[in-house]
Amino acid sequence: MEVALEGKKPDSIIREERPLVDKNVTYIENSVDMIDLNQRVVFTADGKKLAYDYIILATGSVPDPDSIAGLRAASLNFHTSTEDSLKIWDALQQFRKGHIVLGIAGVPHKCPPSPNEGTFLLDDYLRKSGKRDDAKITFVTPYPRPYPAEAMSKVVEPLFQKRGIDVVTFFNLESVDPTKKELYSLEGDTLSYDLLIMVPPHRGADVIIKSGLGDKDGWIPTDKYTMNVKGYDNAYAIGDCTDIPVSKTGVTAHLEAKVAANNIISSIENLGQTHKYTGRINCPFEMGSGKAAFVVGSYEKPVKEIHPSRIRHVMKRGFERIYWRSLTGNLDWLLDTYFGATDIVENSKPTVVSSK
Amino acid sequence: MQVPVAKPTTVVDSRGTMCPGPITDLFRAFRNSSIGDVIELWATDPAAKPDVQTWAKRSGNEVLAIIDENGYTKIQVRIVKKGTAR
Ligand SMILES: Cc1cc2nc3c(=O)[nH]c(=O)nc-3n(C[C@H](O)[C@H](O)[C@H](O)COP(=O)(O)OP(=O)(O)OC[C@H]3O[C@@H](n4cnc5c(N)ncnc54)[C@H](O)[C@@H]3O)c2cc1C
Repeated sequence: MEVALEGKKPDSIIREERPLVDKNVTYIENSVDMIDLNQRVVFTADGKKLAYDYIILATGSVPDPDSIAGLRAASLNFHTSTEDSLKIWDALQQFRKGHIVLGIAGVPHKCPPSPNEGTFLLDDYLRKSGKRDDAKITFVTPYPRPYPAEAMSKVVEPLFQKRGIDVVTFFNLESVDPTKKELYSLEGDTLSYDLLIMVPPHRGADVIIKSGLGDKDGWIPTDKYTMNVKGYDNAYAIGDCTDIPVSKTGVTAHLEAKVAANNIISSIENLGQTHKYTGRINCPFEMGSGKAAFVVGSYEKPVKEIHPSRIRHVMKRGFERIYWRSLTGNLDWLLDTYFGATDIVENSKPTVVSSK
Repeated sequence: MQVPVAKPTTVVDSRGTMCPGPITDLFRAFRNSSIGDVIELWATDPAAKPDVQTWAKRSGNEVLAIIDENGYTKIQVRIVKKGTAR
């Protein structure tokens, strides 16, 4: 998003994976062709067979612009790759005047705040570059309101209004005509555009679909508390690849990873403990003008209204600096402190049920 | 409390999911539906009822019944209008 709308260099957000992995982990760089949970084996693309006792699936989600007719040809987006994000930055440099439509082409998609965030950052860019007066911005969404959860929508709506951003709701994109530059919805509405930036609908990874482990969209049926793949004691799924009803974000992937890892430790060491994910979400939410909020909630407590502030923006950007170091788990004490301190919802610390 | 008026073509079980879970699940079913289909949404989230009603009104689809079961609500929607604005 920052590459697309702030002109950040892609190099600054990409790292080689191997050095980020803890040295006690054997890292195999290979593509997985098939996963057989019954036989407990993983087949790699180059024909190797890896047997396992426990497995954690973390195959992520795939933005799929081809699932909507005309979308790939018509729309730019900041979800498929940094190269595609750069295309938005280039298009904005060329843009002089007209109607920019930004929104959600289909659900689900990763990072629920990202379509709204993109709209705020687009407005910021146009203001800073002196082009805002010649641009009309429309945010388009299938949901009844600008942000799906009502509490945060109450924060977003007046800010969009203040910035002169139009909102079109209940627009489930059916197709796009790149020649006529028109969007058509399943609800029967038409919207024209000059520049189109739509977040594509996502699906599960190819390997999950090919291995027959997902539902019809490729999401893995997962126990929302224990993170077990349903029906398998020794298989877990975390992050974007699951079908559990929480946002697809890095923060949830992190919290779920700890639950899965602790349940595996408990099983190996016969501790008789079941660790449970509480559904805690904590999505950073850029709202323009150097301010940000967070979307915080859990299974038990719906999302609360949180207003943007400078300090939350600094926290978000600050975390980007320590993110890479946090991947080894060495900074978990810091992250745990953060999640504890921002525990504004009840019951949002991972819970442990002991049967001993 | 209403009684079911039609045999559902698709049942969407969104119980236990909070906003926007149920409406997201409904939209996924709507995308895969045909004219005449009846989608039956099961939801525990209280926002589901007003959200589905507003969506149906806006999109020209028909809420057939809203049934309060023990701890959740069943909402039946008949798809009478879908797409092709051109
Ligand atoms: C614009 C944007 C902004 C975002 N901002 C935030 C934010 O501020 N905070 C936040 O928490 N989240 C944010 N997210 C969401 C976050 O990036 C994802 O939710 C997160 O990366 C999910 O982690 P994951 O490990 O489940 O999947 P991924 O990070 O997608 O990793 C899955 C991995 O599996 C690999 N894989 C898949 N299939 C195979 C195979 N067959 N063989 C081998 N490897 C395979 C993939 O190559 C990939 O490396 C953002 C996302 C976007 C697009």
